[in-house]
Amino acid sequence: MISIQRRSGSSLRWNVVCFSAAILGAFLSSATLLALSGGDAVKAFSALFTGAFGSQNALFGSLAKATPLLLVGLGTVIAFRAKIWNIGQEGQVLAGAMMAYWASLMVGSLPYWLALSVIALAGLSGGGILGLLAGYLKTRFHTNEVISTVMLNYIVIFFLAYLLDGGPWMETGVTVAYHQSPPVNPALEWPELFARGAGKLHIGFLFALAASAFCAILIDRTSLGYDIRAFGSNPTALRFRGTNVRRLLLVVMLLSGALAGLAGAGELFGTSHRLRAETLLGIGSSGIVVAMVGGLRPSGVMLAALFFGALKSGAIYMRLQSGTPAGLVSAMEGLVLLFFLCAAVATKFQIVRSNVHA
Amino acid sequence: MENLLSVQNLTKRFGPVTANDGVNLEVRKGEIHCLFGENGAGKSTLSSCLYGYYRADSGVIRFKGEVAELNSPADALRLGIGMVHQHFVLVSNFTVLENIIVGSAETGLFLTKSDARRKISELCENCGIRIDLDREIWELSVGEQQWVEILKALYFGAELLILDEPTAVLTPQQSDQLFRILDGMRKRGLSIILISHKLREVMQSDRVTILRKGRAIATVETSETTAEAITSLMVGHKVNKHVRDRSVEPTGEVLAVDRACAIGEWGEDILKDVSFNIAHHEILGLAGVAGNGQKELFETLMGVRALSSGGFSLEGELITKPTSREMLDRGIGFVPDDRFLEGLIPEFGTAENLILGWQRAREYCRGPFLDRRKMDALARRKIEEFKVVTASADLPVERLSGGNAQRIILAREFLHSRGLLLANQPTRGLDVAASEFVYEKILEKRASGFAVLLASEELDDLLRLCDRIAVIFKGRIMGIVRPEETTLLELGMMMAGDASDVQRTVQ
Ligand SMILES: Nc1ncnc2c1ncn2[C@@H]1O[C@H](COP(=O)(O)OP(=O)(O)OP(=O)(O)O)[C@@H](O)[C@H]1O
Ligand SMILES: [Mg+2]
Repeated sequence: MISIQRRSGSSLRWNVVCFSAAILGAFLSSATLLALSGGDAVKAFSALFTGAFGSQNALFGSLAKATPLLLVGLGTVIAFRAKIWNIGQEGQVLAGAMMAYWASLMVGSLPYWLALSVIALAGLSGGGILGLLAGYLKTRFHTNEVISTVMLNYIVIFFLAYLLDGGPWMETGVTVAYHQSPPVNPALEWPELFARGAGKLHIGFLFALAASAFCAILIDRTSLGYDIRAFGSNPTALRFRGTNVRRLLLVVMLLSGALAGLAGAGELFGTSHRLRAETLLGIGSSGIVVAMVGGLRPSGVMLAALFFGALKSGAIYMRLQSGTPAGLVSAMEGLVLLFFLCAAVATKFQIVRSNVHA
Repeated sequence: MENLLSVQNLTKRFGPVTANDGVNLEVRKGEIHCLFGENGAGKSTLSSCLYGYYRADSGVIRFKGEVAELNSPADALRLGIGMVHQHFVLVSNFTVLENIIVGSAETGLFLTKSDARRKISELCENCGIRIDLDREIWELSVGEQQWVEILKALYFGAELLILDEPTAVLTPQQSDQLFRILDGMRKRGLSIILISHKLREVMQSDRVTILRKGRAIATVETSETTAEAITSLMVGHKVNKHVRDRSVEPTGEVLAVDRACAIGEWGEDILKDVSFNIAHHEILGLAGVAGNGQKELFETLMGVRALSSGGFSLEGELITKPTSREMLDRGIGFVPDDRFLEGLIPEFGTAENLILGWQRAREYCRGPFLDRRKMDALARRKIEEFKVVTASADLPVERLSGGNAQRIILAREFLHSRGLLLANQPTRGLDVAASEFVYEKILEKRASGFAVLLASEELDDLLRLCDRIAVIFKGRIMGIVRPEETTLLELGMMMAGDASDVQRTVQ
């Protein structure tokens, strides 16, 4: 007799089996999709792989793409572990970038490292304030955070659109408007970790690594992490047992938003060097996917961020090499998420062979 | 008499824990069969196996003489086995009727409500259940919601009904009604498996099967045995009932509540002019039918519910606008009546739950970090002291048996409180021996100078433990009496709001 049953513990081996199956499933279905759209799946995938890991340059490119996803993913983990559904990462990334840009306009005269710190802090606070705002709406007016964070996304996007199109930060081109800011002060760009030309891996990558360690320790080893996990499991008991849950909610939203904001600042000062909506949109939502695929654990999020960073980075090469349409890459992202969510459910069950009716 | 259900050699393991170990059980047609055993003996696990929620590792289950394939609750329902869970699974803004027929196979695409209504009214009549089929679930009391669950099982054609601690959440009156209903069902040839820790209820069954450490050690005819005999079978020795030490006299004043009032969501009075005090070395009992403001009284004293007027003082100090933090820091221990909602973090293990409320206390932290080593040491000590049955200190407490979860709360509160202990139904869901253990601990606290507020539905227990008993009815204290100057009957009358017997309040 073989049957499927809810499992009472978890087994590492079974988890590995489930997630390997998910990766395989995602690749097979993506390959089918590629084949259906008339592409050569083998060629496309090998291009994808070369683009992502084929050379030192490619690897650094993948890590650079992974950097903002990791930061956003970590922020998402903090909120989701508390079962606070902050899904305003898009807006928080933008707000972080905007705040950092604004700060950069004023700190040109400061010593370099001081200026850089101010910019990073501004990025953190831009996202953090936006998160805090949604948190405030929830504690004060019981506004559902899913709705408020999404609405705040729109407000931030339109505000940015105004700033860049007719507003004070518009680049005044010779003939056309570009919907982007002038380049940031080159003296304030974030330093690259390796010699110029060796990919665009900037110091934000180190920030993201530090943030990973920070989150892992925070969640598992500190009193605040205890509160966060407890809030996710049973907020009532936590309140009965002497924790100010309103303040906790605000702290969680602040941290969650701040990490997303830092991702925005890093993209602006480390990679694109111009404030422009297109380069930042999508990071937030991919970051949520990364957090989910990473199983809401910092270590898992690191792996997932690398995976999706590689996917994004390799996709550029794949498009050039095999002419695969760009939309397929987003579809692949979606497929990976789908398979991983299925795997996450599957890990909670077990297949048993029993001798009940022997 | 023929057997409706027969279980042979059923074994169920959870990792290293063997919850059921070669259990044999036979249930006759038309009997109330009680499962009795210590916390963690495997009663809930056994019934979950019979209901198809868990799959046994080995063993044979025969229902009506045939081997039953139970892979899911749906299989069990199809065969005629129904179960009423302790936590109901009703849709709260559906009517009673809709809740009963939702998911039934007969309704198909079109809900033929009129047919269903006729059938359900008939069922109600047969079992003596009086309920308005058009009320919505949220309007019903817990007891009535339980009837809906029962009706639902019967509507699906259940011939065997499993009830897991059905009376733990009921008032004594509601339990009596439930037993009348069960009796009606038994007369109509239905079989019932009942799990309960209350001897009064166990003695109303036809037969009792006693489980100990996962094994069924005996099945006895209730009419041929006594409550004491069953209890000693269960724990393997005689259980002593503790009484308070009368040579210790209450002195001074720890808690003084002065005309406390609280107002509910709809502007109704929840607490009205509640006044009492508790001294050192004193246990004040709180008697009352559930839902008369006990819960709210405890919540206001714990600082999680606001008073509308009046107040209370601790050790002579007036407390204004308390928070739960402040009350914990002042050394108040609190055992809530709803353990999983108010007292525990279900996904946390024993170690983490033991410090809930103290996760920032210096004892368990190093700076902002939790001191895992200290937490684990504490968990090991308390698991042993309170005999918590758990596979490890990290196993989520939602996986523990009800009584074991309660022990964790008690361990935590006994450890951290200094001076005042508020205990709302601390023995709910505990087996007889464990209840006595808790009472023993409470009496120890009394001896060491604690003031204790103890609410319980077991009046016998209150009478032997308390220095004084306050009776609450509709948010008012009907009177405060001494156990040696009162009777069960008097208490019962006061609990029913009968104050003709002039309000008595003793100091
Ligand atoms: N899902 C699970 N995973 C791990 N262990 C479990 C699980 N469910 C039950 N157990 C363990 O199996 C044993 C039997 O538990 P069960 O809930 O059947 O006890 P019980 O007799 O109903 O006790 P109580 O009177 O306290 O409700 C306990 O030691 C419990 O910790
Ligand atoms: Mg149980």
